[in-house]
Amino acid sequence: MAKEAKLPEAGQWPDRIAPWALLAGAILSTIGFLMAFLYAGPVNGAAVNGVEMIGGTMVSSKLLLSQKIFYFHMPVAIVSFIALAFAGYYSIRFLMTRQARFDTCAKVGMEIALVFVICTMVTGDLWTRFEWGVWWTWDPRLTTYLILMLVIIAYFVLRNAIDEPERRAAYAAVISIIALIDVPICYMVTRLIPSSIHPVVLREGGMTADMGMTVGVCMIGLLLVGFGLYRMRFRQVRLAQRMQAMKDQIED
Amino acid sequence: MNPVLEEIYSTILPSAPFIIGAYALLWLVVLVYVFIIMRGLKKTEAQMGVLEEQLAELQEKYNG
Amino acid sequence: MAVTLRKPSTFQQYKTLLRKDLEREFRTREMLTSMGIYAVLVLVVFGAALGQTTPALDLLQVAGGLLWALIVFTSLLGLNRSFAHEKEQGCLEGILLVPLDRSVIFLAKATSNVFFLLAVEVVAVPLFYFFFLTGVSLASDFWLVLVPLLVGTIGMAGIGTLLSTITINTRGKDVMLAVLFVPLVFPLLYACASSTTALLVGAEGYMDVFVQSIALAGGYDVIMLLVSWVLYDFVISA
Repeated sequence: MAKEAKLPEAGQWPDRIAPWALLAGAILSTIGFLMAFLYAGPVNGAAVNGVEMIGGTMVSSKLLLSQKIFYFHMPVAIVSFIALAFAGYYSIRFLMTRQARFDTCAKVGMEIALVFVICTMVTGDLWTRFEWGVWWTWDPRLTTYLILMLVIIAYFVLRNAIDEPERRAAYAAVISIIALIDVPICYMVTRLIPSSIHPVVLREGGMTADMGMTVGVCMIGLLLVGFGLYRMRFRQVRLAQRMQAMKDQIED
Repeated sequence: MNPVLEEIYSTILPSAPFIIGAYALLWLVVLVYVFIIMRGLKKTEAQMGVLEEQLAELQEKYNG
Repeated sequence: MAVTLRKPSTFQQYKTLLRKDLEREFRTREMLTSMGIYAVLVLVVFGAALGQTTPALDLLQVAGGLLWALIVFTSLLGLNRSFAHEKEQGCLEGILLVPLDRSVIFLAKATSNVFFLLAVEVVAVPLFYFFFLTGVSLASDFWLVLVPLLVGTIGMAGIGTLLSTITINTRGKDVMLAVLFVPLVFPLLYACASSTTALLVGAEGYMDVFVQSIALAGGYDVIMLLVSWVLYDFVISA
């Protein structure tokens, strides 16, 4: 006898931990936030002429505060990509099994990805605005996330434009899989093509241990927030679906 | 403050509004999403009310 | 008397489907002419857009990008039209009745789209040169521009065929195709535009940029064509 595969459902163990995950995520993110400002060392900007003694170390360049945005910008960007990956995974499972539940999972995953991508764009844009004085540059990261945002919006526009549920789910699944493959390609292409007009703005440049830890804390915190949000939304959507099913049954 | 220290700290005040703005907007976006979830829940609860009424009517018809 | 039936090989099916598309087009030439006219119109719009630029403007810097913008817009038109008539006449249902591997339909459609796009480019690129580039001197190996044109066209036709199959059944077909097509094709567009610009400008070390961009565009083509091939079955059966 074949074992019937269990479909993801609301009210299972992930939902019991979801509120705690949200809380833990919120707390961790707050700690990360505080760490960003109080613990991690400030990053050095342009050099100044002259040297001063601050807090026991010799400082000879401007101290940047705007770099603190980075501690939330990068985790948020990574979480949005992880959400996209989950949506792609559920889309593949939908195409393999044709179970509508996976389509719901994929849709909620894409919503989370959209939320976090908007956060990425906001933080990235404000950071660029301050650092470089312009509101937008076509550097690899910002461009890739713009494309990601456009693809996710296209996904939802497509879902709205189709009425039959099966076809809608199939088409949406295909698009999310293509999107998942397209985004890394986009990042690599914009990064690998040497460009004279648009200097590749890379901010990797060694991270000190305290910076690394702060990013790690924020990363885990935001991951938990993303997970918590996903479960809450999934639970709410499932409830509405079951309600609708009951309503249809009674009206028969 | 001597001029060198001034220059070292020169970018902090101008950048503050951007940083505060960034974090505030982040918070706002997440809150908006939570509101969307809440709104969906309220709609579902309203439907639950409608269903309960319908069920009550059906019960009456069955019994009466 | 026994009649032997043999299922035509995949290649045979492919050739038949392809021939059907090409023959139809060459008989009426409606799609090619409309795409060609559209290309001319886009060039005219570019002309107006660049109307006030001084002669000192280094047109070579933007020419590569403009050419690719032209190709993208024309492709969008062509991709939409290529499926429209099938839906109108109900051809698609007929083809689906035949017991063939759905991916063959994808290959045939994609190939015919490549041919149409190349045909339009044969007209559009010289026109582009005529309108914008006669005043500037080009690098000696300018003919290499055929490489990004070929690579880019193949990629756009591939992913465009998949996307137009999806959007032909939705509301707002043309806009939907554009909304899906442009973000997904962006890496390819970027790579091809970079390589074309590098070639046209001919600055220091341009060959490295050219080769690298072409390599990336080629990689995109391979990956996306493979993905489209695999996913096409799900799309056309929905």
